[in-house]
Amino acid sequence: MTPDYNTPNYTRRDLLQYGVCIVSTALLTAGITTKVLDRDRKKILAEAPSCETSEITPEIALETLMLGNERFIKNKQKHPNQNVERIKEVATGQKPFAAVLGCADSRVPAEIIFDQGLGDIFVVRNAGNVVTSEEMGSLEFGALELGVKTIMILGHQKCGAVKATLDGNSVPGKIGSIIDAIKPAVKGKPTWEEAVIANVKLQIKQLKSSSVISQLIANDELKVVGSFYELETGKVKLIT
Amino acid sequence: MNNIQNNLNVSRRNLLKFGAGVVGTAALTVGLGSQVNWFNEKPARADNNMTPDEALNQLLEGNKRFIENKRKNPNQSMARIEEVAQGQAPFAAILSCADSRVPSEIIFDQGFGDLFVVRNAGNVATPEEIGSLEFGTLVLGAKVLMVIGHKNCGAVKATIDGKAVPGQIASILDVIQPAINQNKTLEENIISNVKLGMNRLQASPVISQLIKDGKLKIVGGYYDLDTGKINVVA
Repeated sequence: MTPDYNTPNYTRRDLLQYGVCIVSTALLTAGITTKVLDRDRKKILAEAPSCETSEITPEIALETLMLGNERFIKNKQKHPNQNVERIKEVATGQKPFAAVLGCADSRVPAEIIFDQGLGDIFVVRNAGNVVTSEEMGSLEFGALELGVKTIMILGHQKCGAVKATLDGNSVPGKIGSIIDAIKPAVKGKPTWEEAVIANVKLQIKQLKSSSVISQLIANDELKVVGSFYELETGKVKLIT
Repeated sequence: MNNIQNNLNVSRRNLLKFGAGVVGTAALTVGLGSQVNWFNEKPARADNNMTPDEALNQLLEGNKRFIENKRKNPNQSMARIEEVAQGQAPFAAILSCADSRVPSEIIFDQGFGDLFVVRNAGNVATPEEIGSLEFGTLVLGAKVLMVIGHKNCGAVKATIDGKAVPGQIASILDVIQPAINQNKTLEENIISNVKLGMNRLQASPVISQLIKDGKLKIVGGYYDLDTGKINVVA
């Protein structure tokens, strides 16, 4: 437990100034604390028409992602929220409904595989979709401040970083720092795919060790899920 | 320098096994002047067989299509997915912000297999990001590495303000802090943070060697949230 989370309202209010869409913060504050803030929230909503105002549940956020992936694999993409008008609409504030922690791999572009556009998903990516302090901090910001309702950790078929960890050979530069973060997930002699899934589960565990994230989950304001992306079909499968 | 070169060669051999896409690895081996001819297969595709300047142009042209509402949504078909499932050879690597308004593939109008993308709040370069981008450039052969900051970046703003933040958010602000000058504007500080990230990446012997050999270009970009335009700032 980090002691500073004992004053979540204070902190959220402070961060409100940091270029964050005020609606999302207001929604979150209302959601986590008391109904006393409802009046303020409605006021803020009325004053910020550029932000999306729909309150969605973690389940709906997840479903929205999965439906986008279904459009994508059926070749029925809408390419939503990607035009010049949308740029202007979200320039003053963002209210992403979901966050994705995915791999830096060029074959796993989050917005494309979920058929989303500008302002829709908060995206953290690195080789091996690992959670170290900066990723945790980024996702805390996405959840606590921007109000994302679902965080998906997305592993993928043939992940090179996981393979490198399985092989255990020496690597140059800082690549080892990624392998170190994946290593605890590799036990026994798993297949490549099993290791990818074990890594997703490990990173979920890491993320949930954040008091900020676990508190939001406990309050039913946030869902954290893991998934596996099939490179050959484009399909995202939830890991249970 | 010889030691580094030797290490790189050995390491590249090792990394070849890591599902990294043989095409990119081959391009890089040739590029770095390795004596080892362990790659003799004909590449299935070589999307990053270009110069760093060409790679940068390809990014900027995509951004131009985006802001002119003339996107092609290239390389997003099922055929492309099946093609790149066998191996990737991204022509560019990106370090950008997790902000939902800065989706790399959309603002550069690219598709599957084109961009190796690292993102976090504040586009900071810590060991995992540097390691990821070493992988993207050394192993996969990306020819241009662009660090992108964006207008009104919340992470930079929070660092300037200097107030207490919960959880691990502080770890990001700590990395941005050395870029901050309180006498400068938010935009200047955002650009300064981009340059700091570039310096950290260039401190990597892997990346600096690629740049020295003319196989990689590192540039800084500033994304204007109001217009969608990327300006090269460093």
